[in-house]
Amino acid sequence: MNSTHTPTVIEKAAESLHLIENLHKDDDSRAATGCEGKQLSCPPPEHWDSWVEYDSRSWPERKGREYMLVPTSCFNCEAGCGLLAYIDKKDMRIRKFTGNPYHPASRGRNCAKGPATINQLDDTDRILYPLKRVGPRGSGKWERVSWESVLDDISSRMRKALQEGRNNEISYHVGRPGHEGFMDWVLKAWGVDGHNSHTNICSSGARFGYAIWEGFDRPSPDHSNARFILLVSAHLEAGHYFNPHAQRIMEGRMQGAKLAVLDPRLSNTASMSDYWMTSYPGTEPAVLLAMAKVIIDEGLYNRTYLENWVNWQQYLEAEYPDRPKTFETFIEALQEEYREFTPEYAEKESGVPAATIRDVARQIGEAGERFSTHVWRSASSGNLGGWAVSRTLHFLNVLTGSVGTPGGTAPSAWNKFKPTFHTHPEPQKFWNPLHLPDEYPLAHYEMSFLLPHMLKEGRGKLDVYFTRVFNPVWTYPDGFSWIEALEDESKIGLHIALTPTWSETAYFADYVLPMGHSPERHDLISYETHAGKWIAFRQPVMRVAHERLGTPVEFTWQANMGEVWEEDEFWLELSWRIDPDGSLGVKKHFESPYRAGEKLTINEYYRYIFEHTPNLPEAAAKEGLTPLAYMKRYGAFEVETDVYAVHETAVDEERLRSSTVEKGTIYSNGSPVGAEVAGQSCIGFPTPSRKQEIYSQTMVDWKWPEYRLPAYIKSHIHQDKMDRSKNEFVLVPTFRLPVLIHSRSGNAKWLAEIAHRNPIWINADDAAAMGIENGELVRVNTDIGYHVNRAWVTESIRPGVVCCSHHIGRWRRDQDQKGNRWATNLVSIDREGSGKWKLRVKEGIEPYKSDDPDSGRIFWSDGGVHQNITFPVHPDPISGMHCWHQKVRIEKAHPDDRYGDVFVDTDRSFQIYKEWLEMTRPAPGPGGLRRPLWLNRPVRPAEDTFYVGKGK
Amino acid sequence: MNYGFVIDGRKCIGCHACTVACKSENQVPVGVNRTWVKYVEKGKFPATRRYFTVLRCNHCEEPPCVDICPVEALRKREDGIVDFDGRRCIGCKACAQACPYGALYIDPESHTSAKCNYCAHRKEVGLKPACVVTCPQQAIVSGDLDDPQSEISKLVATEQTSVRRPEKGTSPNMFYIKGDGAALDPLQTQDGRPYLWSEQSRGVGHFAGKSHAESPRQHRAAHLQDDPSMPRKVYDIPSKGVVWGWEVPAYVWSKGISSGLFMLFFMLTVVLSLQLPDEMQWSTWGISLAFLGLTGGFLIKDLDRPDRFQSVMLRPQFRSWLVRGGYIIGGYGAFLALWAVGKLLGLPAVEQVALWGGMFFAFMTSIYTAFLFGSARGRDFWQSPLMPFHMLLTSLVAGGAAMMLLMVLFGAPDILVGLLRWGLAAGVALNAVIMVSELFGRHPSKQAEAAAHQISAGALKSQFWVGAFLLGCLLPFFIFVWSSSLPLLSLGSILSLGGIYYAEKLWVRAPQLVSVS
Repeated sequence: MNSTHTPTVIEKAAESLHLIENLHKDDDSRAATGCEGKQLSCPPPEHWDSWVEYDSRSWPERKGREYMLVPTSCFNCEAGCGLLAYIDKKDMRIRKFTGNPYHPASRGRNCAKGPATINQLDDTDRILYPLKRVGPRGSGKWERVSWESVLDDISSRMRKALQEGRNNEISYHVGRPGHEGFMDWVLKAWGVDGHNSHTNICSSGARFGYAIWEGFDRPSPDHSNARFILLVSAHLEAGHYFNPHAQRIMEGRMQGAKLAVLDPRLSNTASMSDYWMTSYPGTEPAVLLAMAKVIIDEGLYNRTYLENWVNWQQYLEAEYPDRPKTFETFIEALQEEYREFTPEYAEKESGVPAATIRDVARQIGEAGERFSTHVWRSASSGNLGGWAVSRTLHFLNVLTGSVGTPGGTAPSAWNKFKPTFHTHPEPQKFWNPLHLPDEYPLAHYEMSFLLPHMLKEGRGKLDVYFTRVFNPVWTYPDGFSWIEALEDESKIGLHIALTPTWSETAYFADYVLPMGHSPERHDLISYETHAGKWIAFRQPVMRVAHERLGTPVEFTWQANMGEVWEEDEFWLELSWRIDPDGSLGVKKHFESPYRAGEKLTINEYYRYIFEHTPNLPEAAAKEGLTPLAYMKRYGAFEVETDVYAVHETAVDEERLRSSTVEKGTIYSNGSPVGAEVAGQSCIGFPTPSRKQEIYSQTMVDWKWPEYRLPAYIKSHIHQDKMDRSKNEFVLVPTFRLPVLIHSRSGNAKWLAEIAHRNPIWINADDAAAMGIENGELVRVNTDIGYHVNRAWVTESIRPGVVCCSHHIGRWRRDQDQKGNRWATNLVSIDREGSGKWKLRVKEGIEPYKSDDPDSGRIFWSDGGVHQNITFPVHPDPISGMHCWHQKVRIEKAHPDDRYGDVFVDTDRSFQIYKEWLEMTRPAPGPGGLRRPLWLNRPVRPAEDTFYVGKGK
Repeated sequence: MNYGFVIDGRKCIGCHACTVACKSENQVPVGVNRTWVKYVEKGKFPATRRYFTVLRCNHCEEPPCVDICPVEALRKREDGIVDFDGRRCIGCKACAQACPYGALYIDPESHTSAKCNYCAHRKEVGLKPACVVTCPQQAIVSGDLDDPQSEISKLVATEQTSVRRPEKGTSPNMFYIKGDGAALDPLQTQDGRPYLWSEQSRGVGHFAGKSHAESPRQHRAAHLQDDPSMPRKVYDIPSKGVVWGWEVPAYVWSKGISSGLFMLFFMLTVVLSLQLPDEMQWSTWGISLAFLGLTGGFLIKDLDRPDRFQSVMLRPQFRSWLVRGGYIIGGYGAFLALWAVGKLLGLPAVEQVALWGGMFFAFMTSIYTAFLFGSARGRDFWQSPLMPFHMLLTSLVAGGAAMMLLMVLFGAPDILVGLLRWGLAAGVALNAVIMVSELFGRHPSKQAEAAAHQISAGALKSQFWVGAFLLGCLLPFFIFVWSSSLPLLSLGSILSLGGIYYAEKLWVRAPQLVSVS
């Protein structure tokens, strides 16, 4: 087959006469890959040290480029899909990223954000060196400093704090973790209750609903084997863990599974579903309970599973002590309890037709154990009592016995690998009330979005505050309160931003430290993407390339662009300096397990973990590799496959010998360790009864008896609270786009060119009633201010509901360093009196001159509207989740309004914080506890800090 | 061997991974795409659905882009892939007009044409296209359609598939399983509405870095109510704009003047055996030559790679009407030169040969563009059987107007002026009739209908009715019929020259305002 061109006589003559360029010379490099004629997805690994491809832009001229392929894992969302970096051996630059076929979750395929990683590396506005603030915070002036000076400054400050017992003034606030256990280990080694996260603006709601059932706090659906899939999410386009889940949802569908979605908006996922149930926000539990009622009434439940694995006996003892303790009584009790949740009632609440509810419920019953479900955020993170969404959703899994079955929904922890570290620091003896205040004893993860408000109230201060891939000024509700807090040096002594890119929060930092992207850092990751258990490795590919070429470096920043470093190594270096003489008890954890007394290296850290990963050493030995070398080569490893029914695992012999059994629960050393089920001693679930708890004594003990069973909690934006005559709507601000990721995609040009504006979706009939036309400017009034956006009139959202995408509306001010110019508006921010803030867009997105000619080709100017900053905080009194949905009043824009305008009154937002605080039922609980002992929390401290007044 | 694609609509989730993987693999500049995803919504709440369609080159069996390319920059390979060579491309953008699917774009870095080429550089080393590899759902399937055992062949055989615009006779090798009609046919969706997460304020591709005046898509201006019963396009890539701008109608216009003038010269000199004064003859010849030169100038100006203009003659693809036209113009020019030689050296026989030869080539020169436009299979409006005649007519009218101006300048017998005057009157009247019939007559396709509508009642309507019709035809007609005053006749001539350019501009522009993807 000839794929080269044959010139005409005329052309040949003209070329030989040098009238035109000779295009028929011999090509100087012909790649011989040995794969010619094949149709492979990926070069075989034996070629990964030297793979030759032709340059795409020179084609059909064959210009061979030789590459080294090094695996890593994507950092553009928590899924951590596999990536292969192609390093051009001639100029030692990364040319592109493709998938890694060895990654068990992503299997060589990626979403749009994966290959766009190259944009984030090549961004000409990237922060390449550590920066220190010059002048007042937020004034936009920076000077370059050395890593040495940074480490010395921060470590000495931390040392002082630890020596003075001000452990609670050190805080590590993380947005995107992207690692498994590393920081938990570091914080414990420091003896600091320093973990703060973003979880309670993300998934705390859903997590609590699961945790109160089974202890584990996230679902792991086995979609590919399901017969029926029910999503309260949009997993064919966004969310944890979009790519791997979307693949498997579709696999299930192609084999006949039906898909139902609860969403007031037509997401891409809903559009591909068999049942798009357009529930009014917050009414999902009513719909789910109606389905449960159908399943119970029609006998479609899995009797064996319920009888064995639910704490129904405890329920009957507590509620119906006079009735016979039989399973039949339990069913009767449930029927009474959920008597009012008819499909007709659910239809009245939600708008989902009763017939559909019945149909879906029956199909779920028929699917039985092959019923997979998911909720991560969505309704559970939008509504007051949103945690009831996951609790009622999981109820359906329990009823059908589809917990941890093939095609069912397992607890996340079964499909997630927990690494073994080389040291086991004692839990810290501190409890930081700025993270978990006593008003929120059941909060799942820290009350992170209340930090500015608690600081304002004078509950404490932070001396050393790390924000890590974390942008609360922009992503969080009430961002101006964050600016007020960050600007106050008496409240936040030293603010260190660890980030791969400029962000609205980094503008208000004291140090901006560039930390690498997916091919520039080390991480170990493991996520519950399917019924297996895997680990993947993120590694600094240039460092690996240097190793392979025989020129290893000591620190990752020496191999990356500029002096871009990575957190892992940074923390090791910092920790070593905090405690040079070991007197604080920190140093010993950072000593090498292989070279006594010497400082731990990053390679040693991971070497230890991989040596202690089951099955990995054997697999590595088969190829004549050490476990670390194996992971460096392949980037991923499947630790276990087909993980099901882990709860049926036998309690280990050792424990059984010293155990007692009480009411079916096995206790060892005073703690519950298993359950007696059908004559077997099984480990069960990490709840007090070791079973699925339909009845929660904990809710009773902690003053929420009305929620002892799965229930429907009316949302703060329930229809009863909406005055349609005043054009009040519920705004759903949480929907995400398949191509963007919060603050990290602002400098990814290929993603920004696809999505850059976020109009507010309004139902066409609603718009017509208000006289609002498609594209018209509207003012969206919230409880603390307003923002001005364009209407997008559509048939793809439910009447009474409006929505706006979460990802867009980035900004920078005149004084800020230029960054993310593909996605940021240039704005002015003015204070108009006490607590009154006004943001106005001065300039949209403009083309700019840079070393990348594409920056001159920007064809869009619309950078969207920053909506989150106009939302007050809404902490759910039980789960601690920020209830994102907002009651808004929509009106046509005022004459002086301009697109992108934002106004906020932080005095008002502080008031609302107080109003929601009133809704809490604070600790102490039983025995003076500030939190139930069995409800886990991140970086769990020593047990005696669990009591009110302790751990200061 | 016949490599092609299947897009499996049962699985595609519209995630744009293919779009970005292709960008990365092929180092495609911002603003243009080799493959992209379009979103169309249908229905009224709650019976609303969104459809995702992956669009790109169809690697046709009969690719119109290959036929039209003057320099063999596009090629149908033996393995079925339609590949392109950016080193050969002169940036004439004829391929973009020929493609019924909008697959081609001008790369703003190299200023040459580009499109999906099945990642031919990857195929060469044994790898699948980048989009196929990355798709989370494996919804893009590539392979050999001639191999019945291949996955793609089995899919095409066992699933219902559709292709885009089968009536164009291109035989696409891109098959859609569960493709949606409204999503695949751009004319079924309401255009000009805001997109759900993007907008365009500036040009892309050929217009990269420039302000955006070329697209009909102005989201801020669209205060129109959607009709929920009609499908709506809610996401698409930015418009590539009207890439054949003023240069192409300018070249047609100056070519018309040159050839028309010479044809009239031939008719007067040879057919009517009139002996025109020398200065008249030389002026006629001079104007013809000058406008022929101007034609070449406009052609070269239009190229995005003017440094490669000579490739049209030196790397010729003989099926292309650009090449044939080049040789025709060359022949015409040669005979013009010969005439001058004959005239200067006083060789009447040479003059005669030049006149007859020149007439033939002038005639071909005046009409060949109709065949070029006809081979632009992406623009149905130009597939009009009337077009060669229309071009001949406008050339004669343009030449006549030029001759009228020459006669006014140099003086000519009244009878000649009178003849020309009535000829012009008839010419502009017939021109008006033809234009109206092209607009209001039956069109062979919706695309052609839509383009005609743009002129008669759409974005271009004032320009047409006032500029081309009123001032370009009607007013000159009345002048030529009712007046014999030389100043007025000159005015009439100038107006009709202007009208011809204007009309040509609209005829070239209108079909480019109609979406093909």
